[in-house]
Order: sequence, then structure tokens, then C-alpha cells
Amino acid sequence: MSLKNDKFPASAAFDEINKALTASEATRKDAIKQGNAVFAFTLKNAAGETESWYIDLKNKGEVGKGLPEKPTVTLLLSDADFGALIAGKANAQKLFMSGKLKIKGDVMKATKLDPILKKAQTKAKL
Amino acid sequence: MSFLGGAECSTAGNPLSQFSKHVQDDRTLQHDRLVGRGPGASMGGFRSTPASAPQDEMVNGFLHQNPNLPEIPLEQQAPLPHVHIDPNHAVHLHPQAATPMSPQASMEAAFNVPPGTQFSPEEFAKFQQMNATSTVAPSPAASVTTQPQAAMPMTMQPLAAPMYRPMMSHPMYQPMYGPQMMHMPQQPQQEVQGKGKERLVELDDSKWEEQFKQMELHDRQLREEEAAKTEEKDEAKAMEPELNKMDEQLHSETGYGDLESIWAGIQKEQEALRDLDDEENYVRFDNGSFDNTSWGINSGFGTGPIVEPYMFEQENIFQNEQNPFEEGLRIMREGGNLSLAALAFEAAVQKNPDHVEAWVHLGSAQAQNEKEEAAIRALEHALKIDPNNLDALMGLAVSYTNEGYDSVAYRTLERWLSVKYPQIIAPADVSAPAEMGFTDRAKLHERVTNLFLEAARLAPDGDHMDPDVQVGLGVLFYGAEEYDKAVDCFQAALHSSIQGSSNQREQVHLLWNRLGATLANSGRSEEAIAAYEKALAIHPNFVRARYNLGVSCINIGCHAEAAGHLLAALDMHKSVEKSFRDRARELLGVNKDDPSADARIEAMTTQNRSTTLYDTLRRVFTQMGRPDLAEKVVVGVDPDIFRGEFDF
Repeated sequence: MSLKNDKFPASAAFDEINKALTASEATRKDAIKQGNAVFAFTLKNAAGETESWYIDLKNKGEVGKGLPEKPTVTLLLSDADFGALIAGKANAQKLFMSGKLKIKGDVMKATKLDPILKKAQTKAKL
Repeated sequence: MSFLGGAECSTAGNPLSQFSKHVQDDRTLQHDRLVGRGPGASMGGFRSTPASAPQDEMVNGFLHQNPNLPEIPLEQQAPLPHVHIDPNHAVHLHPQAATPMSPQASMEAAFNVPPGTQFSPEEFAKFQQMNATSTVAPSPAASVTTQPQAAMPMTMQPLAAPMYRPMMSHPMYQPMYGPQMMHMPQQPQQEVQGKGKERLVELDDSKWEEQFKQMELHDRQLREEEAAKTEEKDEAKAMEPELNKMDEQLHSETGYGDLESIWAGIQKEQEALRDLDDEENYVRFDNGSFDNTSWGINSGFGTGPIVEPYMFEQENIFQNEQNPFEEGLRIMREGGNLSLAALAFEAAVQKNPDHVEAWVHLGSAQAQNEKEEAAIRALEHALKIDPNNLDALMGLAVSYTNEGYDSVAYRTLERWLSVKYPQIIAPADVSAPAEMGFTDRAKLHERVTNLFLEAARLAPDGDHMDPDVQVGLGVLFYGAEEYDKAVDCFQAALHSSIQGSSNQREQVHLLWNRLGATLANSGRSEEAIAAYEKALAIHPNFVRARYNLGVSCINIGCHAEAAGHLLAALDMHKSVEKSFRDRARELLGVNKDDPSADARIEAMTTQNRSTTLYDTLRRVFTQMGRPDLAEKVVVGVDPDIFRGEFDF
């Protein structure tokens, strides 16, 4: 089942993250260990519609649609900004500082998002 | 100052004594110019300020405050004002001086601007009349606003006071004055006149300057005093270009033409943000809660990744090697297979667990082999034995940066600096590990960057700088996405004539790869590919550079080439596994066709495996519109099955 919602082009990234997570058991266990949180994303597209996804890195290590029951941290941002974030063209810190990324819940956990997003990014390494 | 205080100058007789009262208040002008230059000040400019009654009162109040000033017609003044003012405005000035009007009306007539925002000619006349003391510096804007009050000549203060006081005494005028004084000098007159809303040109500095210069010419009595002040004038003049430059910067920073569009832009942005958060309890940047220092300060290990002990391959062909460490070094030197080198170093540390160098080389080999996690584990182990190992610290900082553990990377670099340059930061002063929010992380980054810059400045010149410091700086700038600066740092490290650990022959390919990765992430894929080619020319089995090359090919849309590079990288991993498998079969003495043996051997050789290559390859196939191929990419797949489709 695809997690992508066509109205939110950047949401394809959730499929990417899901694939990366489920690629191997070891990866998933490792991701749970490092993340230890449930990240919820609420995206807002150009038309003003909102939709939520979550990355559970606490219990099951899965990506899904909708708002989870108890997200550790919820991130609210526009679909375009999320796309830039996934593409590595923006970073969470700068989005947050400029007010384009809103965070509800444990802000500290939000900084742990970078390693997780890196999984969906195709970025050169030093 | 005899003319201010003497008996011959009674309060009623000498207007200057009135003005001297206001000298103290006049400081707002300096503050306005030098401090209150923010956008807020610009926005309060008079262009958008509606006329208000209090202002008129201020003007009237000023006029009536000095009743003993003789009412001399404008024409009698020594320097004729209209000579210096635009003809069309001068037309207004003349009749007005002859037929008294209310100050408000005259202002409108003369200057055709919103009421309450302008000098009145009468006021100007009175002001001129006092030119007996006119020793004003040629550029009032520069001198008045930049020199400390105490340093100002006393004769100038009375002049400055009446001139600015009516404006400054109302808060509304404060922001107005700064921008106006700042902008006018650099705007060509004709251009300004063209615009309807900027007809205030006659207040333009240069006009006033001419005026004052004229006054000076007619003022013979105070020549000597003036001479004494020429030095100060020169200072003021010298200050002017600098201030103008600042003004230009102020302009260019906003990127908008005029204030209204800035305001419109801000409004729009605010609107968008308000639109975005309908929920109150989201943490916002401006509510300060995230900056609370009590957050997670004692969580200790919480911020970094949890690093587990290094996992060894269960079977190792170097197990019985006499000196596996030397063997590993030889493989690395000759540009041999990195997986083999890693195995050799594994054998070395298994023989002697306290062999720091072997641990460091193991970590380095795994990082180059695109197995970041294994690299981090090995390097962390090396630091457990020797907390001050420079190579391990630098390698870790790079690995953490790659994995997105930025704050840990910064702290690791700080530690590196404290070991190598204890004179800049004592080892005891390094930041304690703590969980960090975005703001704290930014602060840490700034702090460590400044320390590194300090270390870089210790070098006498560009050619002799410590290349390792440059690499550290490069990693820091890379982390903050300041790629241009990072590129400069890596290039400086490559060109440095001082031998450091980062530009020695065995590691220079790492430097080329780092330069390439930085270029690639700043969107310069073509240049990046050239840098990777250099790295691969030095070390053909450099898996990471090969992977990066694939990434750059993806970025420029060459998916088939990208797949080729990624498969080649995977093949480098796999070839060792295969040769090892053959050997393992011999060791285990199993039948080649027994599938269960394969599974057993498979389990032995997969301790350190990177999924990055597989993930990226899968993405390439998806982007190529080949889901059939993407399906086949599972961790551990033999790249040989794609040989028909791609060359590698």
C-alpha cells in the first residue's frame, strides 16, 4: 500500500522512509533504538488541506497514515518545505528558526529527526 | 563661551541661551542614527505618517517660544535662501515671507508635503538669522550624528538645537530623521524629484550644506574659531562615505525597493504563518520556550546515537596472519579492496584489543568502504583506549556529520581542537554532552567554529596553515550548510604545504572526496564529479567516492551511469564476500551445491553491511521507471544479476 497522497507530492518520501525501514530487520531495530520516538507529521499543501503521517520508531518501526495516538513530537509544515527537507535542500533547524516548521511535543526529539530523514535523502558523504 | 553666559547676554536678549537648554535633549539624534537603524525605524518614516495635531502644536510652540527674536523678513537675510533652493520652491518662499501665513499653511505651500512633517520657512528664517554663530560643519548629517555630544563645538550646538529640536521633540520624528538623512545624500536629485512622494528634496543634506557654507562665507567674525574646527570637519567628511556605505547595505539587505513593499512583504509572510498554525500549542520560535536551558541538560548520553561494540566478522582470512596490521596497511597503501583491509585490521585488534592505531585504521577503512556505522563503532572504541587520538576524533566528527548527529559532531571537533591546540581551548573546557534543541545546537556550532577560526589564524600565512584545522573548519561549515566556505577550507587543506594527517599521501583521496561531496551538496555536481575522479584515481577501490559519484550522476539525471557506479561499489563489497565464501566452503568442507551451507556462510559475512548503497540503488531504479529492477534490490543481493543491464 502506498502512503503517498497525490495532493501532497512530497509525501512520496514516507514511502521511501518506509522502504528504508523495512529493508532489513537490523535496520529497523537500529532505527528504533536510535529514534525511540513517534514522529507525527502534519503537512499542509498549497490548497490549504492538511494530512498527517507518522513514523513510529518506538514500538513497531513503521510508517503510516494519520495521526498516531501518542506522538512524541508533532511537526507541522508545508508540503513544499517538507519536500525541501527530504531533498536535503532545507534543514529542520533553519525551517524551525524561520517559523516555517512548528513543533508540538518534545522539541528535543525533533533534532533527532535528521538521522532519520537522512535515510530518505540521497546525499553525498564526506 | 562668553556669548552664552555673559552679562551682556541676558536670557531675553540672547536666543542662544534658550537653545542651550535643549542641548541635553539633542542626543536622541545620535542614538537614532547609530542605534535605532533597524527596520522598525525605517518603517516609521514620515512618508507613511499621517499628519497629527500634536506636531503642529510643537511647531507653533517652538515659534512662540522665542518671542524676542526679531521678525526680519526673509529677503534681508544675508545669504538668500532661494538661491540655493529649487526655483519652483523658491517661488513659494518669497510671497510667503512677505505675507505671513500660519506655519502649517506655509509649510504646505512651500513644500507640498503632508502637514506637520516639515520645517516652516519662518523657522528657517529665524534659524538663519542666527548665523552669527554659524560655524556648522559642512555636513551636518555626518557630524551631528556621529560625533559624541561632548566633542562637538559649543557654537554648533545652539545651531543644531533649533534645527532639530522641533522634530526630535516628538517621538514620531525620531525614526523619520534617521532614514531621511541617510538616504538623501546618495540619491541624485533629478531622480528623486521624479517621484511624487519624495518632494522633500529641499531638506536634502547637500542643500543644507550649501546653505551653511554660504553662511560661513558671510560670517567673518568667527573665522578663527572655524579654522580650529576644520580638523573635525575633515573627520566628519571622512565618516560620510562609510555611513553611506552602511546605508547602501541597509538598502540591499532588505532587497525591497521601498518601505511599503517591505511592509507588504512582512504582512504577507505573517499571514502565511498565521495560516499555517491554527493550533495554539505548537512551539513557536518567538515564544522562547524552546530556549529553556533546563531542558535535557543532564541527559548525558541521550543526544548522540547509541554506539554498540564493534561487531567482527566471524570468519576472517587474516586470522592466522603473522602481522595483520601491516597487511592491512599494505592493502590500504596499494589501494586494495577496503573490505579486505577492514578484515585485516579486525584481525589485528582481535589479536591485540589495545592496538589503538589498528582500531583507527579499521574505522577509517570502514568509513571509506561506505559502512558508516561500523566506522563509528571502531572509532569510538579507539577513543575508549586513547581519548586523545586525533585521527579517531576527526574521523568520528566526519562520520557523525554524515549520519546527521550534528551536535555530537561539533563536540567531537571541539575535543579534537582541545587536544591539538590546548592553548585555544583547554581540554577541561570542552562542552559537556547534552541533548540539544535547535538553538543550543546553533550556539554550539558558532562557538566551535570561532575556536577553529582562532586556530586557523595561528598560521603565519595561507600556505603554511594546518591542513587539519582547515578540514575541521570545512566539516563545521558543511554541517551548517555553508558549502562555499567549506569548499574553500578543503581546497586550502589540499594546497597547504604543511604536512598534516589529512593531506598525507595515504589520506589525500579522502580530502578530494570531501571536497567533491561539499561541491555536490551545494549543487555543483559537475565540479564534484571531477573531484571524485581525482579521489578514485588515487584509490580505485574507494567505495565512498564511487557511491558519491553515483549520487552526483543521479543529481544530473544520468540514472544509468548512477546505477553503474552504485553496482560497482556493491561489487567491491561483494567480491570479498564471494572469495571469502569460497574459502569458507573449503574450511567448512561442505559440498558446493549444498544450499544450507550457503545460508550459514551468508550469516557469517553480514555483520557489517551498509544499506545505503542498496537504498540508493533502489531509488535509482525507481526513478528510471524500472520497478521490476527495484524489486530485486534487497540487502545482500548479488550485483551480478544486473550485469546484463548495466556496465560496471
